[in-house]
Amino acid sequence: MKTMIISSLTKKRWERFKSVKRGFVSFIILALMIFLSVFAELLINNRAIIVYYNGHLLFPTYSEMIPGKKFGLDYDYETNYRALEKKFRKEKNGNWLIMPPVPYNPFENDLKKGKYPPFPPSFKDRHFLGTDNVGRDILARVVYGFRTAIFFSLILLFLNYSMGISLGCIMGYFGGKFDLFFQRILEIWSNIPFLYVVIIISSIVVPNIMILVLIMAFFGWIQMTWVMRTMTYKEKERDYVLAARSLGASDLRIIFHHIIPNTVSVIVTYAPFAISGGIVALTSLDYLGFGLPAPTPSWGELLLQGWTNMDAWWISSSVVAALVITLVVVTFTGEGIREALDPKMHTIYE
Amino acid sequence: MNIDDSLVRVIRLKKYFPVYGGFFLRRRGWIYAVDDVSLEIKQGETLGIVGESGCGKTTLGRCIAGLYKPGAGKIVFQGQNISELNSVQLKAVRLKMQMIFQDPFESLNPRHTIGQILKEKYEIHNKILPDMDMEISGLLEKVGLSPDAMAKFPHEFSGGQRQRVGIARAVSLEPAMIVCDEPVSALDVSVQSQILNLLLKLQMEMGLTYVFISHDLSVVKHISDRIAVMYLGRIVEIADAPLIYETPCHPYTNALLSAIPVPVPGNRKKRIILKGEVPSPENPPRGCRFHTRCPFVQEICINEEPVLESVKNAGKNHYVACHFKDEIEFHT
Repeated sequence: MKTMIISSLTKKRWERFKSVKRGFVSFIILALMIFLSVFAELLINNRAIIVYYNGHLLFPTYSEMIPGKKFGLDYDYETNYRALEKKFRKEKNGNWLIMPPVPYNPFENDLKKGKYPPFPPSFKDRHFLGTDNVGRDILARVVYGFRTAIFFSLILLFLNYSMGISLGCIMGYFGGKFDLFFQRILEIWSNIPFLYVVIIISSIVVPNIMILVLIMAFFGWIQMTWVMRTMTYKEKERDYVLAARSLGASDLRIIFHHIIPNTVSVIVTYAPFAISGGIVALTSLDYLGFGLPAPTPSWGELLLQGWTNMDAWWISSSVVAALVITLVVVTFTGEGIREALDPKMHTIYE
Repeated sequence: MNIDDSLVRVIRLKKYFPVYGGFFLRRRGWIYAVDDVSLEIKQGETLGIVGESGCGKTTLGRCIAGLYKPGAGKIVFQGQNISELNSVQLKAVRLKMQMIFQDPFESLNPRHTIGQILKEKYEIHNKILPDMDMEISGLLEKVGLSPDAMAKFPHEFSGGQRQRVGIARAVSLEPAMIVCDEPVSALDVSVQSQILNLLLKLQMEMGLTYVFISHDLSVVKHISDRIAVMYLGRIVEIADAPLIYETPCHPYTNALLSAIPVPVPGNRKKRIILKGEVPSPENPPRGCRFHTRCPFVQEICINEEPVLESVKNAGKNHYVACHFKDEIEFHT
C-alpha cells in the first residue's frame, strides 16, 4: 500500500524524465555503460569465458587461476587462452573455448618481434583501438579506466553527501551559534589548497583508490554542506514544519520526515554533476601523476601517454572520445533529472 | 473572572523578538510583538482576535498554542502553566491543543499523501489503531472530503479542500482547543463560508474551543462569541461579539469597524480614515499606543498608558483600554 502511494508522484516524475528525450537516452547509455563495465571481465579479458576440455565445462573468468598443466600444456603458470584456442583449433579433437570479444586484459603487454609499440588499431589482432606505448590494449584500459573512475566518483559522492547532508541539516535546523561556528570552519576549510595537499600526501604514501577517495572527500563535502544548510533554513521556516511541531513532532522526526524529503530534488539534481566532477578530478590527478599508482588503468595516464606520443593518434583520440562521451552523457542525464524534478512542473494552481 | 469555566488563561504575556543588525549582527533592539496581554478563554467559546497585520495576533496565537515560548507571563491551559512544562508534558498538552494555519498550500507537507499527513499525529503520540484507514476515512468524511483523498497529494487539491485536510488534522484525537490562525483569509469568499460553517459544525459536535485569529471583521463576527481587538501588541478592547459591533468604545475599534465594506450598493457609510502609519513595533509610542493616530488625542494619552478596564455604561464583560472610554460617543 505504502509503496503504491509513494509511486504516484514518483511515477509522474519518471514520465516527465522520460519525456526529456536527450536526458532519457543519455541515462540509458550511462546505465548501459556502467552495467557493461561491471561485467567487463566477460568482454575484455585474456581469460576465456567458457572452456570445454575433455568433457568438462570450465569458466575461468571468475574462477581461480587455472595453470597450463590442466589443459595438457607444459607450464604451471596461468594458461594463455589465446594460444590454447589456436591449439584446440589445430587439434580438432572436440575441445573448444570462447574468448571475450577483446582477448586482452588491461595489464598485459602484447609485444611483437622486431617492432616497438604503440601499435595502431587492428581488427586482425583484435586491438580495436590499438595499443599504448608498452603494448597494452587501449580499449581494455579505457573500459577498466571508466570503471575505476565511475566507482571512484560514486564512492566520493556517497561520502560527500553523507557528510554534507548531515552537517548541513544540523547547521540549518539548529542555527544560532553552532551554525555561525561551523560556517567559519567551512570558510577556512574551503581555503585549504586542494592540489598542494594531494601532492604532499602522494609524496609520502603511494595513494591507492581508497586513500584518494578520502583525500577528495576531505575537500568535497563542503559544497553539499552549504547547499543543505541553505535548503534546511528555507524549509524549516515553512508552515508544514510548524504544523508538525504543533502536532508534537520531535526534531529528529521533523528533519527526517519533513525536511530531508523536501530537499531530495536538490540532492538528486546535484548528483550527476558531482559524478562528472569526480571523473574529471580523478583524470586530472592521474594526468599530473598524483593519482592512482602505475599499472592501474586510468584515463589520466592514457591522456599523458597520448600527449607524449602525439603521432600515435589512436591513444589520445580514444581517451578524449571516452571522456567527452561520458561527461556529455552524465551531464545530459543530470539536466533531465533536474527538469523532471522541477517542482513547478507539478504544482497546478486552481 | 470566573476561573472554573476557563480553559486557557493568559496572564501578562510578553513575547519580544530580537532584531539583529550592524557589523557583527549584534542585537539592535526588540520587536514588541505581544506586550503584556492578559485574557481568558472559556470552555466551548470562540474568541476572535482581530487587528491589522503586524499587531501581534499571530504571535499571540502561536504562544497560546505553545509554539513560541513566552518571554514573560504565563499561559495556563487546563490548570497547567505550559511555559514551564518539559518536552514530554508539552507533547501531551499538544494533543489537546491544535492549530489550523493560514496558508493551506504551505501547511501540508507537499511530499506526503493526505493519509500520511493525517496519520502523523497518531504516530507521534503512539496512538496507532489497528484500523487506521477506517479512522482516516472517518476523519475525511467529517470534514467533507471523500475517503479516496487518502492516497492523493496536497497539490492535487484546491485551497478549500486542503484547508479541510488541515482541519481534519487538527480535530483528530479529540483536542480541547484549536487556534485558528487566519484559516480562511487565503481562500475565495465562496469557500470561506463553507470552511467557517464546517468549523462551527465541528464545534457543535465536539465541544471545541476556538481562538480565531483574523483581520477580517465580518468573518470574525460570524464565528465569534467574544472578540479581542489588538493594536501594536496590546489588547485595546475585548467584549462579547455583538457589543463590539454595536457599541465600540475604543476609537481604534470604531475606525476598524467603519472600514467593513457594506454589501448594499448606494448605502455608503462614513469611513473614518486614520492618519499616518502604524508605528513600528520595534519602537512603540509612549503612553497610549494609539495616540499618534487617534482623532481624540489629549495630553494624558501621550503620557499615560491606559489600562484595560470595564466600561461603565456598557454591558458587563466589556473591557477597553482608553482614558476616555466613558466619554467618547461614536455615531455609528
